[in-house]
Amino acid sequence: MLLAFLGSLILWARDATGEPAVTWLALGTGTGGLQIELGLKLDPLSRLMLLVVTGVGSAIHIYSWGYLHADRNRGRYFAGLSLFTFAMLGIVLANNFLMLFIFWELVGVSSYLLIGFWFARPAAAEAAKKAFLTNRLGDFGFLLGIILVWAALGTLSFTELEARLADDPAALGAAASVAGLLIFCGAMGKSAQFPLHVWLPDAMEGPTPVSALIHAATMVAAGVYMLCRVFFVLAVPGSVALELIAWIGGVTALLAALLAVQQNDIKRILAYSTLSQLGYMVLAVGVSGASRDPSVAMYHLTTHAGFKALLFLGAGSVIHALHHEQDIWKMGGLSRRLPITFWTFLLATLALCGVPPLSGFYSKDAIIARTLESGHHGLFALATLVAALTTFYMFRLVFVAFTGPAKSQAADHARESPPVMTLPLLALAVPSVLAGFWGIHRVYGAQYGAEPAAAGSWAQQLVEPFAHAPLAAGAGLAAALMGWLGAWAWYRAALQDPLPARFATVARWLRDRLYFDELYERLIGWTQESLARLADGVDRWVIMGVAVKGTHGTFELLGRLLRLAQTGNLQTYAFVLVAGVALLLFLVMAR
Amino acid sequence: MSVGLTHYLVVSLLLFCLGLFGVLVRRNLLVMFMSLELMLNAANLALVAFARYHHNLSGQIMVFFIITVAAAEVAVGLALIVALYRQRRTAHVEDLASLRL
Amino acid sequence: MQSLSFIILCPLLAAGLIALVPRNYQVVFRSLALLSTLLSLLGAIRIFAGFDTGSAALQFEEQVAWVDSLGISYHVAVDGINVGLILMGAVVAFAAVCVSREITARQKEYYLLLLLMAGGILGAFASYDLFFFYFFHELALVPTFILIGVWGRGEQRNYATFKITLYLSLGALVALVGLIALYLEAGHQTFNLWSLARQLEADPIDPARQRYLFPLLLFGFGILVSLWPFHTWAPLGYAAAPTAVAMLHAGVLKKFGLYGLIRVAVPLLPAGVQSWAEVLAWLCLGNILYCSLVAMRQKDLNLLLGNSSVAHVGFAFLGIASLTLLGLTGAVVVMVAHGFLAALTFALSGYVRQQTGTVNLDHMGGLLERLPFIGGVLVMAFLAGCGLPGFANFPGEALVLFGAWQGYPGVAILAAWGALILAAVYMLRAVRVLLHGPLPERWGKVADAPHLWHKLPYGLLLAALLLFGCWPRLLTDKIQPCVADIVRRAEAPPANSAAGLARIALPPAAAPALARPGATDGLTASRHPR
Repeated sequence: MLLAFLGSLILWARDATGEPAVTWLALGTGTGGLQIELGLKLDPLSRLMLLVVTGVGSAIHIYSWGYLHADRNRGRYFAGLSLFTFAMLGIVLANNFLMLFIFWELVGVSSYLLIGFWFARPAAAEAAKKAFLTNRLGDFGFLLGIILVWAALGTLSFTELEARLADDPAALGAAASVAGLLIFCGAMGKSAQFPLHVWLPDAMEGPTPVSALIHAATMVAAGVYMLCRVFFVLAVPGSVALELIAWIGGVTALLAALLAVQQNDIKRILAYSTLSQLGYMVLAVGVSGASRDPSVAMYHLTTHAGFKALLFLGAGSVIHALHHEQDIWKMGGLSRRLPITFWTFLLATLALCGVPPLSGFYSKDAIIARTLESGHHGLFALATLVAALTTFYMFRLVFVAFTGPAKSQAADHARESPPVMTLPLLALAVPSVLAGFWGIHRVYGAQYGAEPAAAGSWAQQLVEPFAHAPLAAGAGLAAALMGWLGAWAWYRAALQDPLPARFATVARWLRDRLYFDELYERLIGWTQESLARLADGVDRWVIMGVAVKGTHGTFELLGRLLRLAQTGNLQTYAFVLVAGVALLLFLVMAR
Repeated sequence: MSVGLTHYLVVSLLLFCLGLFGVLVRRNLLVMFMSLELMLNAANLALVAFARYHHNLSGQIMVFFIITVAAAEVAVGLALIVALYRQRRTAHVEDLASLRL
Repeated sequence: MQSLSFIILCPLLAAGLIALVPRNYQVVFRSLALLSTLLSLLGAIRIFAGFDTGSAALQFEEQVAWVDSLGISYHVAVDGINVGLILMGAVVAFAAVCVSREITARQKEYYLLLLLMAGGILGAFASYDLFFFYFFHELALVPTFILIGVWGRGEQRNYATFKITLYLSLGALVALVGLIALYLEAGHQTFNLWSLARQLEADPIDPARQRYLFPLLLFGFGILVSLWPFHTWAPLGYAAAPTAVAMLHAGVLKKFGLYGLIRVAVPLLPAGVQSWAEVLAWLCLGNILYCSLVAMRQKDLNLLLGNSSVAHVGFAFLGIASLTLLGLTGAVVVMVAHGFLAALTFALSGYVRQQTGTVNLDHMGGLLERLPFIGGVLVMAFLAGCGLPGFANFPGEALVLFGAWQGYPGVAILAAWGALILAAVYMLRAVRVLLHGPLPERWGKVADAPHLWHKLPYGLLLAALLLFGCWPRLLTDKIQPCVADIVRRAEAPPANSAAGLARIALPPAAAPALARPGATDGLTASRHPR
């Protein structure tokens, strides 16, 4: 893993691009043919994403070593983790749709294996199943989208597709919107966008490093990455796909932020926060149609990967220290007992809330500014509201879990985790703080043909958002401040949650996740299950029963009828014989 | 009055009907068997009569065949009946319905 | 050893030898069976490796005249379509003998029949003579019935035996009628497929007659492959069959019907295919969707696997119905892949049954704890069953979907739903119920496959799935030229004999570009790394 990270660093340093490929499948030529290559596509987009995946991945591999040191199935765990990383790198480097799909599925399955790592726990097993099936639902649309694109354009290679669409933007014709939305379906499943978001919170049943790797840094980011990769398909003129994508992203962001406010499990809060941030990224992709440059989404993805992995690993460290206690209302006072965890966690929280000069501020601000620029004022308001909510629920978590009195025995006796776990925390804290200064969005911008702006001095970079779009930056900061004030007022020294007492109904609804799971369960119960019941019934009673047994019964009845004639009495037979002869004679003679 | 073909045929017919009646009505295997022989001999009589009437020897040859086959048949049939009687202590057809389903 | 007759005769000769060995030499039967199937496996690998990829010609041909007056000869050969199937059949036969350890009663008869079945299967796939094609199939089919009836399991054994016997005999009979009618209609006094194909191309059967001949073959072969709605024998039969028989039948013998369609019905009756393809496309939805739904409701692992096997076969049908290069190639890949997969899943369920004594899913749970190897392989097999990339099923099903899209987008969408969603639902449910969750106490004594030798059959089948999944060109490059030939015939307009002859005279101009044998040019070009 570290080797892979080093390799990516070298690739990064040498500014490599290229597309080595071997042919995986080749059938026919021309429009009816299908040529699939297993190719690696290196460009600014994939190069930086490589760094993110391998960097965060390395930190998490090391951390896992400490987290699972007592588990005797460690071999299986690391096999799954490596498979996952392999598949993720495959997505990043894929140079055509089908290869992307292949690794897409592999990511899905390795996450299935990892979430279900503690398979003996029914909840984990169910969560794994749910995650895989929900992803599959998205993949179904994705595959159809791929086929649609192939049927219209006859190729699946990104390079060729892009060239073809550049030549003739109307090549997809009326199918453009449909194809774009179908492809977005894939991202919807993997990046857990509404309405396929239900698997992500449940997936927290897996080991915490897995949650960090899969559900923070990489797997869920794959959806956004894919959208940026195939942006040229989504952004063809006349397609309504992007508009819809923007709104779905916005709704997801808001919904998840609301739900996060009333969760009590530390990992679930982070999961909903991930959802919400992913909503931001998808929104960013959606509003980038006019500028044809979704680099802000990738920017946020990169910074988010760093600080969210840090948050999850911090949470893991807390859980580890408290012997697998995840309820924040049973923590408290941990800032003194787990200093390294606390400080890194706080840093990441600040970054997430968009406090300058931490990385999250720059990327989030870029998105909010983009909504304004593209004239989506509704989405601008929504994004600002979500920013306030983000600060609110994150500081609720920090206040309740890390400050105030210890609320349980375990919290009182917590010990800081071993260095093998804290070192990755420290390592990840560096990009969380500094990623805003590196001009990451310029790198991504290069991918989409933006003119390479001269990199200014550090100081200029620091204040750039204010200079560029003061309204957006100001709104973002104000939102963060409001959220913090709210959390400070209610949770500074709370022993139990004050919200359910004040807004009982709303709080209950939010805690029960707006009943999405129940709704889906009913929906699936009513459709798929009853269909299956019907098919099984038809199979058992109509085909096996009426048709097969009916045929069988008819023949058996005939047999029974004929058997009546067989009395076994010799003289009866003889009499019938004679009568028959007499009849024949009579017929012959009568002629 | 001379005895013509018709007389022979009538006798043959009567014999045949007697035999047939015996096969259909009697319940004892041995008697049924003898009635069968009677039917065969009725056929023999008709064949001989036709052969004489038509001055054609093939009818008589046929009779020899029948007599030979009948002898063999009697040997096998009687042996079967005896064996059956030993096994079942009965030669009544109504007791011999074990093949009925 | 690089000879097809060797592959076919190995098991058959061993069966003869077993008949001669006295009953008390128990160990001889098993070792003879292992040895013969291993030899034929090695032979099949050599043929597969020695196959000249990219050529549509017959290879490794052997021909001995038998009845000249009827034009029957023993004629075996391979081309791109059956070379993979023969390899698959040989692998599965070897694996099936390996897992027959569970059989203790009447070993002599068991191995004799099993080897007859294996030899018959391999012969059926290798034969290029319609008579032997059918003969070898029956040679494999009859032992199947006896094996299920005598060594089968479960209360429904007798019913299942009757059912499978009646269904398959009926299917074989209808197919036989179709074959004989085809022979008579063709009127060339030959049973040889290769020459029949050549002659019928020049002088096709009257399209109106093709239209009634084709359904005979379609439904005859269809019943053999459990085409919906003639599928109910399959799950029941496989649930009742001994492990090795279920593996051989579901994996290999069943493919005979599909193979017959691709080899006989589609190329020889092009007009018939065209008018029936639509019907076939919708019928196979019955396989894919309907049987997947049925599988979701099963409580018995074997019934679930049986239904899923019926569902997978639907993809091969869909590929055939699509009549495109991609679809047909995909169909052949699906046949090979599903052969490995079905054999693997039935072998594993046989192991589970042997260890726990039940396959009722309600009584299972947490077995992964006790069976790390078997359970792991089972998870992989189930994932392969829901079309995961990396396993051979994925390229097959993807190609079929791509191919079907051109003709039947609606069917393709529903089939994708069946492949991606429904398959995942029932497969994952099985994994969840069988392997995950807490371990009930009564399975405390369940033991994993102890050592390498016991793990071999499962490993072998899984390796084959992975090999063709990661490198499908091993198959597709071989299949493509032959399939291109078939597609070219099927796509040509239903012509009378004069037009047919004209078409022969100038094929490149008249045949559509994509199906032209010249399509291989692009292939060779792309093979060079860029």
